[in-house]
Amino acid sequence: MAASLFSVISRFLEEYTNTTPNKLKLVDAYLLYILLTGAFQFLYCLLVGTFPFNSFLSGFISCVGSFILAVCLRIQINPHNKGDFLTVSPERAFADFLFANTVLHLVVVNFIG
Amino acid sequence: MALFRLLSSLVLSGLVLGAHALTPSHHLAASDVARLEAVLSQSFTDLQSAYYSIVGLNKLGVSVADTDEACRFLQSNVDPTSIASLFYAAEASQSLSGCEIPVSNETRDFLLAAVSEDSTISQIHNSVSTLSSLGLPLASQEVVSALTSRITKEDNVYAITLALQTAAHLSQQADLSGILEEIEDLAARLDDLGGVYLQFEEGLEATALFVTAAYALSDHVDMEPPLKEDQVIQLVNSIFSKKSWDSLSEAFSVACAAAALSNNRFHVPVIVSALGPATVSHRQPLLQLQVTNVLCDPLTSASVVVESASSVTTKSAILNQSPFSLRDGIFELNFMNSQPASGYYQFAVAVTGDSRLVANHIELKVKVSTEVVISNMDLSVVDKDQSIGTKTTRVDYPSKAKNSFVADSHQNFAMSFQLVDVNTGVELTPHQTFVRLHNQKTGQEVVFVAEPDSKNLYKFELDTAERKSEFDSISGTYALYLIVGDATLENPILWNVADVVLKFLDEEAPATVQTKTLYVPKPEIKHLFREPEKRPPTVVSNTFTALVLSPFLLLLILWIKLGANISNFSFSPSCILFHVGHAAMLGLMYVYWTHLNMFQTLKYLAILGSFTFLAGNRMLAQKAVKRLTMK
Repeated sequence: MAASLFSVISRFLEEYTNTTPNKLKLVDAYLLYILLTGAFQFLYCLLVGTFPFNSFLSGFISCVGSFILAVCLRIQINPHNKGDFLTVSPERAFADFLFANTVLHLVVVNFIG
Repeated sequence: MALFRLLSSLVLSGLVLGAHALTPSHHLAASDVARLEAVLSQSFTDLQSAYYSIVGLNKLGVSVADTDEACRFLQSNVDPTSIASLFYAAEASQSLSGCEIPVSNETRDFLLAAVSEDSTISQIHNSVSTLSSLGLPLASQEVVSALTSRITKEDNVYAITLALQTAAHLSQQADLSGILEEIEDLAARLDDLGGVYLQFEEGLEATALFVTAAYALSDHVDMEPPLKEDQVIQLVNSIFSKKSWDSLSEAFSVACAAAALSNNRFHVPVIVSALGPATVSHRQPLLQLQVTNVLCDPLTSASVVVESASSVTTKSAILNQSPFSLRDGIFELNFMNSQPASGYYQFAVAVTGDSRLVANHIELKVKVSTEVVISNMDLSVVDKDQSIGTKTTRVDYPSKAKNSFVADSHQNFAMSFQLVDVNTGVELTPHQTFVRLHNQKTGQEVVFVAEPDSKNLYKFELDTAERKSEFDSISGTYALYLIVGDATLENPILWNVADVVLKFLDEEAPATVQTKTLYVPKPEIKHLFREPEKRPPTVVSNTFTALVLSPFLLLLILWIKLGANISNFSFSPSCILFHVGHAAMLGLMYVYWTHLNMFQTLKYLAILGSFTFLAGNRMLAQKAVKRLTMK
């Protein structure tokens, strides 16, 4: 069981490094970064306590929101999905990503206290 | 909700008032009339005060102390060049018997000349009154026309009142109908205050003078004034509510109004009041009423009858059409002859005999009081399980039981008695029947209520064990008192019936009554401010800050590893501007966190954002073109 799991994972990683274009890998790296940041914040909250609860929430929501927006960007610039996004060019997707992030971070900074 | 109840009660009271005719709530008592006479009897300082005093006292039916002295005063102080002065002297001299003011022909012509459209109503009034008092002829029709034209110019209350008073001196052949209508117009200007008072906003004097003038003119032309009975009573309330007067002129106006209302051809308000409290008993069986006019003169020619008298509680009628008998100016009725039970009775009294009487139906509440006697007072100590027979001691009022009664927690102390009306032998249920136990040593007292059973036998039982909390479980000798009281009892009773020794189990020696410490300063309350939340030590938070920021390094490393190329970075202006604008927006976020509020931020963001958008749009368009051409 473990062996098959290990083989699945290694195969997946191999496929990933080989087939995904560089652009997407960049975005994936960004996604990993956001994920880790969010995870560490949550860990702090679990261990030390929720004292400035609003700060924790804004930080965590910022990570979650950024992650979601980055995922959207990734979906939209993936050449495989070009058929689904005929009206949206990669530049347009990137511009939307930037705009949405601005709004998100405006709210986050408001709430951070 | 309270407001609604208030409104509905007001409406109800209004309806009730409307149902019964209004009766005067304010009137002059004999002492007030005496005070009025005293005010008017002050010595005169000038002609005007002499006029007020002499004429005022005359209206009250009293003459001045020294008529000759007064006459001399008038004659020496009169000024023939002043119409007002002549008026005061002439009117006052008329009130004094055998006083004459000599008047020359010039003065007479002067007075007659004053009657014209150019003089004020006051001047016309003064000259007409003077001429009439001195018995000199005057042209009534001229006066009427002068007054009519002046009334249109001088519309105030005082002026029209004077016009009415002037018309009362004129000959009856003259056409006074126009002036007569002014009474109704002026009456319409009266303010109704709460349905109780009717007065001019100019005040008491104006109202009183109006009443005087209206009745003077109405009597003169023999036509009933257009005032309804309720309005007359409201005027009575207004004029006679003030019992001490600010000025001589005010006192004078009240005296004139009182005289007008007690002696005119149309409306004579009746004042009915009980002499002393309206209470009858066996010792005082007569209900005495004072039936007077507004000047406190008894209406001896009237007949006073009780139309109906019924008990307030049972609504049964006791009397029907019983007359009062007159004795020394007081109307009396022996109510005890009808053998009424004690309590309150509603009387409807009617005063008849003169068609002019106003407010001659009165409602009166009469109390019949009696004396109570306590009979069959039986005291006993009963064992709870009823195994030992009870020993009943009878005590007679007002003596005290010889032995004291002992009751401990197994026993009940019982008391029974009857309250009987001395005169009729009927059992009574007074409002207050209390049993008071007083501990002489500690000063503690406990009060209980004795209640009657269905046969009106009062019973009181003290369960020692059950009631120990009220006694604070303090054993000892308690003096037992019986308190009987009621509004209709003439002899309230406080009777020390017996001494009761109460024994309680588990007696705690309590501290003296706690009331002493009630008003001592209490311990100070220290306000506990909200303690700030506990923060983790700086080491921990620093560690975690570093931990949270570490993925950024990872990102950079990954990006470099993946070969993110910045070689295609074109230095076109839109590109640079875009990056600058974007960096500025991020900087703005930081500044927002530290300094700004949302509104300022939005303002700057709008500026920067639109700039960045334009630059970015340009840049991305260029990128797109490049991408498409590369394809």
